[in-house]
Amino acid sequence: MSKKTLVEATINGETVEFLCEPRQSLLETLRDVLELTGSKEGCLTGDCGACTVLVDGRPVCSCLMLGVEAQGKNIVTVEGLAINGVLHVLQNKFLEHAALQCGICTPGFLISAKSLLDRNPKPTEHEVRYALAGNLCRCTGYDKIVKAVLDAAADIRSQGEGKAAAR
Amino acid sequence: MSRRVTLNLGFQGNTRDVTVVIPDDEPTPWQWGERLSVVGKPTPRVDGPLKATGAAHYTYDIELPGMLYGAILRSPRPHARIRNIDLSAAEHLDGVRAVLALEDREIRFAGQEVAAVAAISSDLAADALKLIKVDYEKMPFVVDMDRAMADFAPRVFGSGSNVGRTSTSSVGNVARGLEVAANTIEAAYTTAVQTHVCLETHGAVASFNAARDQLTVWCSTQGVFSVRDDLAVYFSLPPDNVRVVCEFLGGGFGSKFGATPEMIVAARLAGATGVPVKVMLPRGDEHRSTGNRPNSEQKVKLGVDRDGKLTAIDLVQRGSGGIGGGAGSAGPFKSIYRCANIRTEERNIYTNAGPASPMRAPGWPQGCFALELAMDEMARKAGIDRLEFRRRNSDNPVRAAEYEIGARAFGWAEKNSSPKSSGAFKRGVGVASAEWHAVGVPGPEAQVIAHRDGAVEVRVGTQDIGTGTRTILAIVAAEELGLPVDRVKSEIGDTRFLFSVPSGGSLSAPSNTPAVRQAAAHLKDKLFRIAAPILGAEPDDLEASDGFIRVRTNPSRSLAFADVCKRIPGDSISAQGERVANYEGFRTDQAGCQFAEVEVDTETGIVRVTHVVAVHDAGRIIDPLMARSQVNGGILMGIGFALFENRRMDPMLGIMVNPTMDDYKLLGSLDVPRIDVTFFEVANGITNTGVMGLGEVAHVASAAAVACAVYDAIGVPVRSLPITPDRVLAALGRA
Amino acid sequence: MNRFEVITPADLASASRLLAQDGHVAFAGGVDVLDLSKQNVESPTALVNLKGLKELGGIEVRPSGELRLGAMAKLSEVAEHPAIRARFTAIAEAAGEVATPQIRNLGTVGGNILQRPRCWYFRNPDVNCLKKGGDTCYAISGLNRYHAILGGGPAFIVHPSNLAPALIAMRASATIVGPAGERTVELEKFFTLPTVDPKRENSLKSGEIVTEVIVPASPSSVRSHYLEAREKQSFDWPLVSVAIALDRAPGANTVRDARVVMGAVAPVPWRSPEAEAALKGGPLDESRARAAAEAALKDARPMSDNAYKVVIAKVIVRRAIMSVAGLEAA
Repeated sequence: MSKKTLVEATINGETVEFLCEPRQSLLETLRDVLELTGSKEGCLTGDCGACTVLVDGRPVCSCLMLGVEAQGKNIVTVEGLAINGVLHVLQNKFLEHAALQCGICTPGFLISAKSLLDRNPKPTEHEVRYALAGNLCRCTGYDKIVKAVLDAAADIRSQGEGKAAAR
Repeated sequence: MSRRVTLNLGFQGNTRDVTVVIPDDEPTPWQWGERLSVVGKPTPRVDGPLKATGAAHYTYDIELPGMLYGAILRSPRPHARIRNIDLSAAEHLDGVRAVLALEDREIRFAGQEVAAVAAISSDLAADALKLIKVDYEKMPFVVDMDRAMADFAPRVFGSGSNVGRTSTSSVGNVARGLEVAANTIEAAYTTAVQTHVCLETHGAVASFNAARDQLTVWCSTQGVFSVRDDLAVYFSLPPDNVRVVCEFLGGGFGSKFGATPEMIVAARLAGATGVPVKVMLPRGDEHRSTGNRPNSEQKVKLGVDRDGKLTAIDLVQRGSGGIGGGAGSAGPFKSIYRCANIRTEERNIYTNAGPASPMRAPGWPQGCFALELAMDEMARKAGIDRLEFRRRNSDNPVRAAEYEIGARAFGWAEKNSSPKSSGAFKRGVGVASAEWHAVGVPGPEAQVIAHRDGAVEVRVGTQDIGTGTRTILAIVAAEELGLPVDRVKSEIGDTRFLFSVPSGGSLSAPSNTPAVRQAAAHLKDKLFRIAAPILGAEPDDLEASDGFIRVRTNPSRSLAFADVCKRIPGDSISAQGERVANYEGFRTDQAGCQFAEVEVDTETGIVRVTHVVAVHDAGRIIDPLMARSQVNGGILMGIGFALFENRRMDPMLGIMVNPTMDDYKLLGSLDVPRIDVTFFEVANGITNTGVMGLGEVAHVASAAAVACAVYDAIGVPVRSLPITPDRVLAALGRA
Repeated sequence: MNRFEVITPADLASASRLLAQDGHVAFAGGVDVLDLSKQNVESPTALVNLKGLKELGGIEVRPSGELRLGAMAKLSEVAEHPAIRARFTAIAEAAGEVATPQIRNLGTVGGNILQRPRCWYFRNPDVNCLKKGGDTCYAISGLNRYHAILGGGPAFIVHPSNLAPALIAMRASATIVGPAGERTVELEKFFTLPTVDPKRENSLKSGEIVTEVIVPASPSSVRSHYLEAREKQSFDWPLVSVAIALDRAPGANTVRDARVVMGAVAPVPWRSPEAEAALKGGPLDESRARAAAEAALKDARPMSDNAYKVVIAKVIVRRAIMSVAGLEAA
């Protein structure tokens, strides 16, 4: 066994410490060490996006990062989207639009979409498609996913306006 | 024991009475115009929250105490005899618990299983594979279909020929049909090998009990019972001693039937080590070794008379599924269009490549592409509008209605006549017809349970390939019991439940929903017997709706469903239902048609699909949300087949050169157009639910429609899939 | 993936020393290193983690107008940087076309120009090709639809970097620190053909680290554009790419200076002096753009399966010129 390294990171809002081997990818670390199996393995080479997580707010393929690189980072996985059991608007819209079938790609799509909406609450359809271009789906097709993301964006905006009006 | 009922079946404007004999304990099939409360309404996927939060556990996510990780060594050579395997270095690696050489000593494709290891981590298992030394005696090989047919080609199977038996079918007299034709065309069409590319690769976790006579396997499968039966035979165990579980499944598309090699390897390693072993395939192995759709070469002749009616359809086809068969593609030629003279000839050609496995409507997308592009070539030659040509040669009233709905939704009349633009970018449109026969089969049994707290559970030994099986089973039970869907929970994916058939060939919905409906009806009878004395009525006078059980003739006399459940003497009350044989019904085929619009950059040959309209019938649609997703998926895979996907084999090395998810090109968000789906409801009365499957029919015509649209855009047919830039430029005479 | 250790050096000098050792490779964005290791194409014993070295980071437009891209600058940062988009347009466009959002968030400027070729023989662990010390380039008699149409031989890979053609079109140079100190090399001269060494794509020596890429100030009269043709619009490698930089006198339509650099056509980013010459010396119109495109591909030698790339390359070069010149196709 290789020497393991102690890593401290913020994962889904909680500070965690874990041990990992140098060659363990962040994906393996999340899944096997931290038991966060929501991030999926589809290819291990950065092509499918099923393992997408946010690192310091940016979506990355966790299969192309090492676990040791998580040191000091703020990481959000699909498990961190719902808060106290209340689904994120994107999750609700994916369900409402039936934008998933087998579901392996879904966590990655959700994370990519969240990252987009965090930075650009009013994306055009092309911007949504561009932001999701690193996620592959084999079942449902992208049309429904794109519609779900656009709908979620509209929802977030109208909530924002509602809040502004209430003030 | 049975009763005769007359059902009003059919579709809007075209219904008729059909008398069928049904068993006494079977609910009367839903008819045309039947008012249902939850069936047919959009219901979000019941297991959606689990999938959207990452909480759904797939095979890959199963972790058991003490579990080891298995890995499989595969041959890098396309054809070889194994002289010797030296496992010792692998066995001595720290952390390795078992190493085994697989029995097959003759390798017939690059990617065939050679040996396997189990170790305490997946990285160590991979390390151990590198230490296994295999001495291969090279043998001559052939991966190219044309070369495999040559007289002196290397033989894939010892002394047997590489050319399989010719399978022919003939109706009428094709030679005569061509002779009398006013117009004929003749052309050859080819399609490439497509791989399934399930997002979740094949894999299994296997665990034996201490006595090694009870095996439990969690696996990514389309058929828990078929896996159970295969494993029982392989390990000489009674089927009851094998339990197979598949709670969630990351796609299958036909590649995950039965006990596949990695399941057997996982179980053997578990047997050898005495602890659970997980084997998940890497992506490259998935591409090379777990199945594919065979390629095809299809020589097509068509004849039409002066009225644009087909007088002859002739197909001479060959295809290679590597070391596997099943390469035929004649289906669409024999049944989509009406013609008195049809002849088809199909041959499997064997090559040193990974074995084919069924893939989404096996043979049909290839056949539909060749047939439909040939139809367009004929329409152009004969000077007939392409849609009109199809109308004239189809006698299916469902398809006729669908053509009109689709043409309106797509704007066919306008788009088909508008100019293709004068610049480099040319638009084109195409239409293609689909067909399938997803009536399902008898066999499944279902159990429906009411608990004392009013919750209802459905249990069936089926599995959800991703299409929403849990959801539609819950909807059907809820309908029968007069409950909202959220009161019903579906449990599937376990051989401990009652038997069901594999999820493939569009079998799931039409095979399972009738069993669930019958079980729910039986449960309802039992609950009526509990409620009847309280309501002062006979059980036969009761009905269940809106969450109440009430007297039919006096609805104010009612009890809440949950209150009836409180009177259940034990913890729960359950009933079983079986899927009985199909009734005569309205019609057993499904039509369907798809319209596609493309934009072709005629200077670079790059094609983009810009819009797809799909019109499909699938009997009664249980949940339009789930159903639409399935159609979208069929189209997605069809566009990939049309434009991008191609398993490329190097002829000199005998290996697949693109076993990744980037070199094997899979379309992404920027490659998929707007998709509009319309369902054409048909009450078919074939089962008590009248549901048909959608997985296949939604995929059959997609690539064909795209290819026809490309032809329309550039004025010359590209007769080979995928339609890559080099082929478009070559068709245009530019490269 | 084989077992390796991850070493995080304290400074550039120690990073350089570490990288001079056998089996040690630079770990920047990590995208290609991990991909190659997972595919068993490379088996490093140690990854020298460059992430902590502040000299390698950052993006800066200096008061002189010069652009400095730290080697560790992320591709997504380059693509989104307002000043790069405005004044070094081709560079931002090229960075924005790399792979996927996720990979652009990991991948770095240095990693993009140093990544190994995508050739499917090179990337296959079971094939010992010329680039891995074998004696055959299997693309010659094999499947070569994505391979070189210019400058090929004895290996026929194409250089995979999107960014490099854009950087070369903008006259960038790389700063390299190594055991012998610091050197600056024009990026155009940094890449080497297989005739020099079929196993390498550039002149980086053992222990050397690309620390930054410097792009000289771009006069306001210069317009640049990066364009690529690819089969898929989502995540695909270009069939052909081109970066164009044109300098025209204000108000005039005559090209004072031009750079035309193609990607995915040759084992190195392929600058075309012929196309550049064709652009100069007369008013810029469609026929001149067309002539430049013809000139750029004049020496093309397609292989058995890739003649179509020559056709596409001509179209892409012409379209890029037309676009950067603000001309509409007739």
